Amino acid sequence: MDLGQETAAVVEASTSDGLTVEGIIANNWIIYDENESDWKSHAAAIAQSIHLIKKRLRWKKLIPRLEILSEQLNKPDLWDDPTHAGKISREHGSIMSKMKEVNGFEQELFEHIDMIKLAREENDSELELVGPHFSLSRHESLKALHTLRSNIKEKELEALLAGEQDSCSCFIEVQAGAGGTESMDWASMVMQMYKSWAERRGFGITVVDEMPGELAGIKRATIKVDGEYAFGYAKAEVGAHRLVRISPFDSNKRRHTSFASVAVIPILGDGSTRVQINESDLRIERYRSGGAGGQSVNTTDSAVRITHIPTGVTASCQNERSQHQNKASAMAVLQSRLDQLEMERQAKINAEHTVSLTDINFGSQIRSYVLHPYRMVKDHRTEYEVSDPDSVLEGDLDGFILSFLSASLDKNKDDYL
Amino acid sequence: MKSSCFTRASLSSILQPVFPPRSNPGRPVFCSTAVRPKPRTPLYLRPPAFRATFSELQKWHIWAKNKATSVGPTFSDLDNGPDSALLHRELNWLVEDAVENPNLIRACLDDTAPVWLRACLEELYEVWRQRIEERRPFQYVVGCEHWRDLIVSVEEGVLIPRPETEVIVDLVDDALKRNEELRNGGVWADLGTGSGALAIGIARVLGGRVIATDLSPVAVAVASYNVQRYDLQDKIAVREGSWFDPLKDVEGELSGLVSNPPYIPSKDIDGLQAEVCKHEPRLALDGGANGMNDLLRLCNGAASMLRPGGFFAFETNGETQSKILVDYMDAKMKGSFCNTMIMSDFAGIQRFVTGYRT
Repeated sequence: MDLGQETAAVVEASTSDGLTVEGIIANNWIIYDENESDWKSHAAAIAQSIHLIKKRLRWKKLIPRLEILSEQLNKPDLWDDPTHAGKISREHGSIMSKMKEVNGFEQELFEHIDMIKLAREENDSELELVGPHFSLSRHESLKALHTLRSNIKEKELEALLAGEQDSCSCFIEVQAGAGGTESMDWASMVMQMYKSWAERRGFGITVVDEMPGELAGIKRATIKVDGEYAFGYAKAEVGAHRLVRISPFDSNKRRHTSFASVAVIPILGDGSTRVQINESDLRIERYRSGGAGGQSVNTTDSAVRITHIPTGVTASCQNERSQHQNKASAMAVLQSRLDQLEMERQAKINAEHTVSLTDINFGSQIRSYVLHPYRMVKDHRTEYEVSDPDSVLEGDLDGFILSFLSASLDKNKDDYL
Repeated sequence: MKSSCFTRASLSSILQPVFPPRSNPGRPVFCSTAVRPKPRTPLYLRPPAFRATFSELQKWHIWAKNKATSVGPTFSDLDNGPDSALLHRELNWLVEDAVENPNLIRACLDDTAPVWLRACLEELYEVWRQRIEERRPFQYVVGCEHWRDLIVSVEEGVLIPRPETEVIVDLVDDALKRNEELRNGGVWADLGTGSGALAIGIARVLGGRVIATDLSPVAVAVASYNVQRYDLQDKIAVREGSWFDPLKDVEGELSGLVSNPPYIPSKDIDGLQAEVCKHEPRLALDGGANGMNDLLRLCNGAASMLRPGGFFAFETNGETQSKILVDYMDAKMKGSFCNTMIMSDFAGIQRFVTGYRT
């Protein structure tokens, strides 16, 4: 570990004449379209991106966190507990690489600004300077700034998904609210919305559990969404979703309001510490017992429900073709639920460094879908709205998700908090 | 095969039809060395040699869905048979097994786009009609049952392994974990093996060998086929014959014994759901007047076949039979067995009797 590198992160980087990222932003240079060849415009746009990324990464908290981690890494007895050591070293590595990347952007920005200024002083726009540091012409520096500007724009998005579990796959669970068939129909529409959304993003989808309603829709369903950053995106959907429409199930054509709750559970990777489950703490049962069972019954329904007795957490699966597989799938859901509970408990303990999205209550209303008397979908957390509910219900959710993720990470007025 | 069934190659000649002849009156009952009936290849293992257009497949799928929907609660009210929801799930699985790329069915393709099938469309119409109208078990339709982490080939004449029976493998696994002596190998037996599911299941958790027996030549053929598919020929020997008859050479030496014998009382069979009483082999279901004929015979045999300390696990019809069996062992066969226990299945029904030879 190079300590010099770490302290460098604390000392604010600048151009040779002392211009910092903050300084550039304070200059209020006008930002033109990126095709305009104006170095001040590029520099201002890059500075803003760096600022935003640092904010999203909770920059000021990363530095002390890194110090704590380095201290622990230097302890001679660290590897006595390999799981803990692995976790520490992974987090350390991840923070280091994030900081290195942002610092690299800063450095690049300042080098190009220095170059451009120097070239202008020489009053020669195409002057080739001597020495390895000054081998770029002003024109090339401008081009490099342009490239940097578009690269860093992409990094803004990546920084939205920098949470520890964001890159994981996840389970999405939809549960119908009170209100019978109307709500169950709504729950199945919401589930369909997520399936389409996941399909659009190229994620794999497996139905784990589905409890159909008596007449229509679903009482509850769980799908597994496989792919990079599935959790990072889907976590923005946790909460109650409200529908207002003329119910197709109401012969009097009255307007109804229905709710469906959405829960999202990350599936931790192999390297993570997972909650140990004791077999003796489990109650395993057939979900729907077929009378006498055994040889008397031939049913392809082999649904299983597992209850973790100490916590009361349950999981069920009925879409696999054997009871053994249903049990294995239900166990995977149960494991992830217990992991999530444990993470929430841990998050409360180290509240100061965890970017916690769990303060969004499972029950709190996050979004309304109005089909009557007017048509609109509105997110109550961000005020983001769309006037075409059909496109949203067909899975066009990214606008809602990204606006929520940026709002929740960018809202702090306080710099880099 | 109808002429409209386009085949990719001349593979149709090696494929057998999905629906086999209903009976084979010429087949001898005992034929340990005679030519064995050839087991059918499960649908999902057949080559995707049949071409249809996307719209033809869609049309079949819609027809099949409507057929499933039309059932409603009729069967479940009638004899505890499948309802529409379950039939819809089975239809998804049939698509999974029959279509080379099952995700296509949800895609939006050109009507004329080709799709490759493992059975021709006429067969798919026919087997789904059989499923709904004749109540032919789904597992016979696709030629397999997913059981534990196995996919076991099944066909008419062989009992479809039940999810309850999956637990016996866990019981054996638990016994091995608790008992070092059992872990040292030795020969186990699965009597009345049917498809061979249980024998394969325990062979995969055991160190030692398993002998699987069955009276039915069809069962012996299917079990042998499944053993081969899981590449366990070296571990599992399938022998034809009644109960302990083919095991004379290992008398008193068995380390373990498992069985899911016929246990339904004769008079109850006709009242069971159509999938069971009209299609599954009576030989594998009928346990005599009170259903206990074979269980008691197994009990008696276990005393002489197991070595001291040997483990056994039997499946029963439920609480009544389990209690009778344990009473019988503890009272009538006093001293032969120890640690006899009744274990429940996932539905909470007291389904299994386990214990050790003293």
